Amino acid sequence: MTTLEDQASAPPRFVRADGPAKVTGSGRYVADLSLTGMLFAKFRYSGVAHARIRKIDVTAAKAIPGVFAVLTAGDVPDVRYSPVIPDRTLFAKDVVRFEGEILAAVAANSPAVAQAAVDAIVFEYDELPIVADLEAAMADDSPLVHEDWASYAVTGDTPRDRNVATFSSLSKGDVDAGMAEAHTIVKSRYVADGSHAAPIEPRGVLAQWEGDKVTIWTSSQVPFDARNGVCETLQLPSNRVRIIVPHLGGGFGGKCGFHFEAHIAALARATKRPVKLVFSREEEFLVPDRRRESMIIDLTTGLRADGSIVARRGWIAVENGAYTADAAFFAQLAAMHVAGPYKIDNVHIDSHLVYTNHQPSGSVRAPTAPQGCWACESHTDELAAAIGMDPVEFRKKNGIHTGATGVVGQVYDEIGLQQCIDAAVEQIDHAAALGEDEAIGLAVGWWPSFPGPSGAYVRLDSDGAGQIVTGAQECGTGAVMTLRQLAADQLGMDPEDFEIIYQDTAVAPYDTGATGSQTLLNNGRAVVDAAEQIAEQLRQHAADHMEAAVADIVLADGHAHVAGSPSKNVSIAELAEIAGGGELLIGKGSGKPPDYPEIPGMNCVGDQGVAAWAAPQFSCHAVKVRLDRDTGVVRVLDVACAHDSGTIINPIAAYGQVEGGVLMGIGQALTEGTHYGEDGKQRNGGLLEYKLQTFADAPRITTKFIQIPTADAGPRGAKGLAEAPNVPTAAAISNAIAKLVGRPVRQLPMTAERVWNALQEETP
Amino acid sequence: MTSITIPTSLRDVLEALAGGARPIAGGTDLVVSSRQGKAPLPEALVAIDQVAELSEVKTGTDGLMIGAMVTHARLMTEELLVESYTAVADAAALVGSPSTRNVGTIGGNVMNGSPAMDTGAPLVVLGAEVELRSTSGSRRVSLADLWTGPGRTSAAPDELCVAVHLPLRPVRSGSAYVRLEYRRAMEIAVVGAAASVSLAEDGTIAAVAVALTAVAPTILAVPDLDALVGLDPTVAAQRVAPAASATATPISDLRASDTYRRHTIGVMATRAVEAAARRASGETIAVPVNRALGIGAAR
Repeated sequence: MTTLEDQASAPPRFVRADGPAKVTGSGRYVADLSLTGMLFAKFRYSGVAHARIRKIDVTAAKAIPGVFAVLTAGDVPDVRYSPVIPDRTLFAKDVVRFEGEILAAVAANSPAVAQAAVDAIVFEYDELPIVADLEAAMADDSPLVHEDWASYAVTGDTPRDRNVATFSSLSKGDVDAGMAEAHTIVKSRYVADGSHAAPIEPRGVLAQWEGDKVTIWTSSQVPFDARNGVCETLQLPSNRVRIIVPHLGGGFGGKCGFHFEAHIAALARATKRPVKLVFSREEEFLVPDRRRESMIIDLTTGLRADGSIVARRGWIAVENGAYTADAAFFAQLAAMHVAGPYKIDNVHIDSHLVYTNHQPSGSVRAPTAPQGCWACESHTDELAAAIGMDPVEFRKKNGIHTGATGVVGQVYDEIGLQQCIDAAVEQIDHAAALGEDEAIGLAVGWWPSFPGPSGAYVRLDSDGAGQIVTGAQECGTGAVMTLRQLAADQLGMDPEDFEIIYQDTAVAPYDTGATGSQTLLNNGRAVVDAAEQIAEQLRQHAADHMEAAVADIVLADGHAHVAGSPSKNVSIAELAEIAGGGELLIGKGSGKPPDYPEIPGMNCVGDQGVAAWAAPQFSCHAVKVRLDRDTGVVRVLDVACAHDSGTIINPIAAYGQVEGGVLMGIGQALTEGTHYGEDGKQRNGGLLEYKLQTFADAPRITTKFIQIPTADAGPRGAKGLAEAPNVPTAAAISNAIAKLVGRPVRQLPMTAERVWNALQEETP
Repeated sequence: MTSITIPTSLRDVLEALAGGARPIAGGTDLVVSSRQGKAPLPEALVAIDQVAELSEVKTGTDGLMIGAMVTHARLMTEELLVESYTAVADAAALVGSPSTRNVGTIGGNVMNGSPAMDTGAPLVVLGAEVELRSTSGSRRVSLADLWTGPGRTSAAPDELCVAVHLPLRPVRSGSAYVRLEYRRAMEIAVVGAAASVSLAEDGTIAAVAVALTAVAPTILAVPDLDALVGLDPTVAAQRVAPAASATATPISDLRASDTYRRHTIGVMATRAVEAAARRASGETIAVPVNRALGIGAAR
């Protein structure tokens, strides 16, 4: 069943539970917290992109009155951490590999004293050659970012070589034979700059020890990951580390992973005092090991005379930066986006994750996808133009559909890509007629869902009030807020009847966190499971109370009634009171995650587990832009979005996700890119020169959801949604610009100056 | 430690300045650059916002007086300005965000002396003079004489800018400010241009002045535009572009290359002259021109 839902007529469900606190300012973030005797932390950074450490002398810093501790590598366990490729330590040892590397951490009785101590630390070093360019980094004579890369205890089948941290290929069929068969071959290169998640809240961490247990308040999207990082680096069992996340001021992936919790916990242990760290905006730009990776993408595609794709060859370099945070799988994920949601029998893509002396890359909202999609979809318009086919028709013809086989051999169950294309085109056509120097561009995108373990408890207390206790983390998407709706629907109650206890690792069962658009998919399943256990208890109580059969009890509108006789009922509150005197109403949920599909016929080297996609999400964005030909300035006027994210459970939250993703995508398309100097340091690490989009720049955004209740997905057939809207916007804008300029702008972001330069190029 | 005095009379302010204090109005430059670590806060500050006469906008026989404490929010809406000195309103409306515009002042803007300030080029083409006052007297200086380099002025440390004076406007005159911007709020001019145009009875150019933002160490007037007098405004607007590009000595930085700046300053100059001429002919173009006419005032 497919339904189209109009935004205008969609019923809003309910105000999100954390909304009033955030809007009125009563909500508390980490920076707002204070504990008695609290000290203030500051880090000393390397300030140099690549150097061998000769000396770090903290004697003078320690002697400053008010300084309680100065820690360096020797003060914490000697542990290398990071998932898959453990190449990192809490404090720099021997070599520093990017400008934001931590040499030392200070705790003092005021931020000013802590800063004075940081400034008093003596750092002597010998500069090493800077590895900055991706292709140069892959040359045989390149200096190495990690001289001892071969000694790292890597997990799994992870081909590596020198500065190539991981290599992965997608390979299916015979590309040479396919190219030989081609009627037209198009070759393109695209280069994307790195960019930032740029959440509004610079992160904070506050740690306090009580005996041998530590509580850490932190702005993390993934509290259990943060806990595991503390346990790994400080060598503690998980039950002695408690992570609590107060309100989180956005993350966009930038606050995924384990960051500075262990540094602050170590300071708090050394000083026997609570210690708080709050980042400046500049630190938020330069230091975390999560920013969007730069990429180089080479694509060659062969077409048959009828416009069908016969073969695709690709070469990708993805920037890893100085350390492998969670980017180990990015090579293969990038290859999936460069391959695209198309029917192609012969595919070969080689993809490399490359070390440089820049800030480490990591999971920023749909990692590798906006850049990969931008390259793939700009190339797609070049393909359509090469054979004189309409780009929409080209995508309809080559795009995957229900029952089709995609680039990695996966056969797709019911999917809505084709309907997404139709719906986006229909919406953009409804926008006003094109004016002078205006054009429409369109792109399709895809993104996986990530099934995984997740847990929740639900309970009804004796007054009938509900609590959801969940391991899931709210990063602003509203996914955790929507859990109330799932529990309420399962119990025939109102969402407002439930409070949510979340973001506390000591209280709630495990969840992966606000990452991979997985909250509703996995934790939704857990909450439904837990609520259903209570529903069973309630039905039993109701059956006893009304002398009816359990099978006939229906829970609805806050009451249990007998099927067919709504007047024969008892309120849930009354049943809860009865239960409160005996066996309590407590449900626990987890449930088995859906399985990943098979991918027959794939021959990939270095499989990183992101080629077989569970419950894939599809999207098409169509944009209308206006170009100022004299300056190259592009303004996005309209964005029409269509998404297949399965069943939409909370429309008001879903529309918000799409609109936010579009605005972020416009920034990536036009204004957001990191500039590096010759010294390997960021030149625009701040909100003045790193140009985010503002609300004044927001275009008209319309959205339609292609709702297909999807098997092997989340509750009611829901798939993920938070990352998908960030995937195709930049690509659609690129195709609109290319129509106006006469050629694609092959660098991302497509800044006004780059567009103007493209306008000056002679037509070949 | 910084001390601050908050007098209500101008005389007390001037005495504080004579004693070595530095003035603070909206604080949008002073406080921000201190927080960024560029320049520490001065040891002694004197707030000038309680001095009522500094917030006046008055017409007189010789033109308009704008008190130094008048905010950007007022500059963009004050009828006297929007009617007759529209380029200043265009520029004020583009500054920062509503909160910056509510506290940032024209006096602070002028005395900060940034070559990227938006209100500077409009004041230059409108022939503004700044009134500087100290305990030892008062003097008026032109902006060309005031700005000596980026962030530098010829004012003595004890002199306070108390007002900006704009001469009366000729008949059939109009002015406009346009800038190249990459986004529509919280933006700083990549380049910008202001124009003042007065038309002869036959609709040709009677007088024209153009000044440029963010293409030199200070805001610059384009010299030698007399050749444009007598031309049809659309022709004049085209001819001003090479003159503006030739006047500019731009740098390459994060916002743009020198080549791109040199090109786009010509485009902005053309658009500023076009818009000013349209206003001079009696057409109403809403403030700011950048929004009324589209991207970078394209149309």
